[in-house]
Amino acid sequence: MSQAMAALDAVWKVLAIGLLLGAGLPALFSLGVRQLAVATEPGANVALHKALGWAAFVVVGAAVTLGIAGIVAHGLGVKLFF
Amino acid sequence: MNFGLRFRDVTPELVLLVLAVVTALAFDFTNGFHDTANAMATSIATKALTPKFAVGLCAVLNLIGAFLSVEVALTVTNAVIRIQNPDGTPRTELLTDGGRPLLMILLAGLIGAIVWNLFTWLRGLPSSSSHAMFGGLIGATIAGMGIDGVKWVGEGAKLDGVVGKIILPGLASPLIAVFVAMVGTWLVFRIARGVAESVMDKGFRWGQVGTASLVSLAHGANDAQKTMGVITLALIASGHWVDTHAIPLWVKVTCASAIALGTWLGGWRIIRTMGKGLVEISSPQGMAAEASSAAVILSSSQLGFALSTTHVATGSILGSGLGRRAEVRWGIAGRMGLAWLITLPSAAVVGAVMWWIGTTLGPWLGPVTIFAILCGLALWMWLHSRIKPIGHHNVNDDWEAPDTPAALQTEEVAR
Repeated sequence: MSQAMAALDAVWKVLAIGLLLGAGLPALFSLGVRQLAVATEPGANVALHKALGWAAFVVVGAAVTLGIAGIVAHGLGVKLFF
Repeated sequence: MNFGLRFRDVTPELVLLVLAVVTALAFDFTNGFHDTANAMATSIATKALTPKFAVGLCAVLNLIGAFLSVEVALTVTNAVIRIQNPDGTPRTELLTDGGRPLLMILLAGLIGAIVWNLFTWLRGLPSSSSHAMFGGLIGATIAGMGIDGVKWVGEGAKLDGVVGKIILPGLASPLIAVFVAMVGTWLVFRIARGVAESVMDKGFRWGQVGTASLVSLAHGANDAQKTMGVITLALIASGHWVDTHAIPLWVKVTCASAIALGTWLGGWRIIRTMGKGLVEISSPQGMAAEASSAAVILSSSQLGFALSTTHVATGSILGSGLGRRAEVRWGIAGRMGLAWLITLPSAAVVGAVMWWIGTTLGPWLGPVTIFAILCGLALWMWLHSRIKPIGHHNVNDDWEAPDTPAALQTEEVAR
């Protein structure tokens, strides 16, 4: 039973992080794509929408970079914490 | 290495060691081409990358990932079988005759793993290479040491044993991946509603390639070290290595190269099933699926939740289909599920039979015979794959049930 509880404990953590990063980041990326599309529409505030779009991409890029850093850190035996 | 080898130095133990190392590298190779699909199937299916470029990129990232995994993986077998002490040294009772009992378990177990990996590849089914490896080792251990040689249930609150390291994560991880990818895909399409499809495709290709690369890197880091651990264990058992805190450099280099080479070859049959068979994939969906895989794989490896890359990647692709209410081919999903369930027992049966044959035939003939059986079965399955070859040229053909790539259909019509 304690094994099942331990698994459940891991499951909700993985699910939470998965939803935050695995679903949240694509959603943010989608927001970026949308902003860039809006910027091309007639009468749109081009600078504003472009800036918003690229800001979204930068955040996603930074998160991915952190992910890679996580792999490297894990490989070097450093335990990260959430 | 001493190359001044004289004939009388060639003992049965040395032959067994060499066969075990070669078999471990062969397993690592199948591990690579079995799992290319996990990272690249979506990018190939959406044409974000050409098939050849995708497998090349995946191979390079696997190679880099394998070298990043410097964390000592020497206690890899401890999760499920009792052939090592907690500190990584082999159990003393397995070290008689130059480590023969331990080496036989490793050799027979890895043969079981390779045979099952090749069989599922022939059938175009993504199945877990880790489950195959642990299954083979479990079978060979039961044959060699009895049922008590296997750690079935871990003790206390730490996930361990067959239940804690394989069965529970095996059940939970695909479900988590399905859910995360489903939510992600739904959000992506909801947010980008009204944006022209061509703009979507162009934008999301970048995101797709980025997330797929992350999955490739994580795969190299997670999977290559398992084989490194097994080879080092074999070297320790035979007295060729003593340090339980480090892996010999040549083992690292050969393992990293083997998994990268396998990846580069591309398991096209599996890529086809995952990219075209399960659901039709669009770029935004592909990005959501790979992002889900990457997030679940990386967070689990941080938490010591030992899941299979294959289960997660397949779950994510399925979930991405559900998230946009696309048609899912449940028949194929069901076949995959069945393959997952029987992967461990099947590899275990082969591993046990190989151990029995290898031990019965004596120290010289035994290991050589089971290695020959492995080569024979591998050749047979490869020849079978040539009947309906799937490669970079027809991997993306439209899926028709039962699966026949267009190139093959026209060939048959021409005849």
